[in-house]
Amino acid sequence: MDLLIFLIILPLFTAFALGVINYFFESFVFPIIIGSSLVHLFLTIRVASLAFGSPIGYYLGGWDSSIGIALLMDPLAAVMSILISSLFFLAVIYSIKYIKDYILKYYILLFLLLTGTMGMVMTGDIFNLYVFFEITSIASYSLAAIKKEDGGVEGPFRYLMIGSFSGLFLLLGIIVIYFSLGTLNMAQIALGFGSLDSFIQVSILALMTIGFGTKFALVPLHTWLPDSYPKAPAPFNLLSSGIVVKSFIYALIRIIYTLFGIDLLKEIGFSAILVYWGVLTFIIGHTLAYQQDNIKKLLGYSTIAHIGYITVGFGILSHKGIVGALYHLINHGIMKGALFLTLGIFIYYFNTHKIEDLKSLGYILPMSGVFFVIASLSMVGLPPFNGFISKWLIIEGAIESGYILAAFMIPIGSYISLTYYLKIFRMLYSKPEDGMKAKRVDWRLNTPALILTMCCVLLGILPQFPLHLLEKVPSFLLNSQKYITVFLGGS
Amino acid sequence: MRFAYLIVVILFCQGLYIILTKSNLIKMIMGFSIAESALIMLLVLIGYREGGTVPIIYRDFSTVVDPIPQALALTAIVIGASITAVMLAFTIKIHKKYGTIDLNEIKELRNQ
Repeated sequence: MDLLIFLIILPLFTAFALGVINYFFESFVFPIIIGSSLVHLFLTIRVASLAFGSPIGYYLGGWDSSIGIALLMDPLAAVMSILISSLFFLAVIYSIKYIKDYILKYYILLFLLLTGTMGMVMTGDIFNLYVFFEITSIASYSLAAIKKEDGGVEGPFRYLMIGSFSGLFLLLGIIVIYFSLGTLNMAQIALGFGSLDSFIQVSILALMTIGFGTKFALVPLHTWLPDSYPKAPAPFNLLSSGIVVKSFIYALIRIIYTLFGIDLLKEIGFSAILVYWGVLTFIIGHTLAYQQDNIKKLLGYSTIAHIGYITVGFGILSHKGIVGALYHLINHGIMKGALFLTLGIFIYYFNTHKIEDLKSLGYILPMSGVFFVIASLSMVGLPPFNGFISKWLIIEGAIESGYILAAFMIPIGSYISLTYYLKIFRMLYSKPEDGMKAKRVDWRLNTPALILTMCCVLLGILPQFPLHLLEKVPSFLLNSQKYITVFLGGS
Repeated sequence: MRFAYLIVVILFCQGLYIILTKSNLIKMIMGFSIAESALIMLLVLIGYREGGTVPIIYRDFSTVVDPIPQALALTAIVIGASITAVMLAFTIKIHKKYGTIDLNEIKELRNQ
């Protein structure tokens, strides 16, 4: 299935073509940016719809499975790539109006980010994974620091330092794998993994967890995330917490589920570690978010908290847990996206960074105010919205597998999050001063926020359609043998 | 051979130590580079075979060194170079803003 490689090549080619196009035909830049991301979205949906039927494997250059570099799309990768591609398209539409300086550099980095995340989602080769990991990381370091005036470089610099060191741990893990098994193909590693010494298994697990965990902000390793958010442009905030962080979670989940398998993970007790680590992550994330008065920082901490929920869901290692976690992963991308884009509208018109700056903006920008309220209520997990469904699934899964404490903590975390969102609502709808009139918002800023908010409501009212697709995912994760056969038979 | 692995461990720990203790940004970048080179050395080491020749399979050869780690080492070097470049670029930006590259002084300047 050759289309798979185009999902990576198209954004990579666009990124490097943009410079040339800008030099010769400047007026074509924006049509090409929009066209390329739209084509990418259609291609992704096409490939993903095939992958839901039967997983697709592809070996680059037609080399056979022992030496070739493999790409693979199973239902999990298909879900992730649809999420990535659609959020990216909305972010591009939003950026056209929002981004004013360093336009060309911004879009080049944006497309590199897409390349990296798509590659990470689809690759079946563990060193390739490292390369895409670093492409994604470098693109996001630079995007976090791209602002021209009052650019805060210290936060992104800390991100860069911590992030690149986590990359070294990942590289070390990969070297250990190659040293002990002599192959980089994930399926072949998985075949030989059971025969390894348990010390090597556990050290690989630890290295991978540190390497990826730093990138998706598990709690003791999370400090870079809130610091890099406040000065970054809003569409990048959306991509960072909707796509980048999620693709790192995906990569870790893919590696631990495929390489170790369920039985081994339960045997070394990693399931319980993941669950309680997740609980710790969301409790600390929510409590720290409560103390912030910078809204982007607050949303950053809330991202950390939701990473915790997702980790709990994947840590349960059961069918329901995986479905819930994956649904929460999608929902969080959508809800956080809606929040960041709405916040971006506030920042664009009124330059609001602190909570008190939002005073009575709910009356001046009525639509955006409603978006913000709906998105944050679904972050909290109130019933008609999508956050409720996925949190409910995770709780159910936790109770089924006997993690009663984790199931009990999830609603408590939601209460804490309700308190800080209420703080924002109170500011948003406090009485306006005289002479404040409602303001029109540019449609390019409004439409992406509107679409994401609609998704919040729709995925909450009609969860059966996405859940129907997600039901196909766990069988590939829970039974790594199935994944391996697709791989080695797919050449 | 054992001795070479020991050097890798020492270099990696040294890099980690420099990043954790120094406050000068350039020194931190150096620490990162040292730790990275340790891993690249490790990559080359695990591909080494005693008495092996260049991995070109042609005419008479008995043992060759493993070529894959060398390819990985090249990739790792490229990635490391680009990360170092981004770090240095950030350092220039920080120096332009604060006039210093010492973390403690930057912290003081921010608190004012």
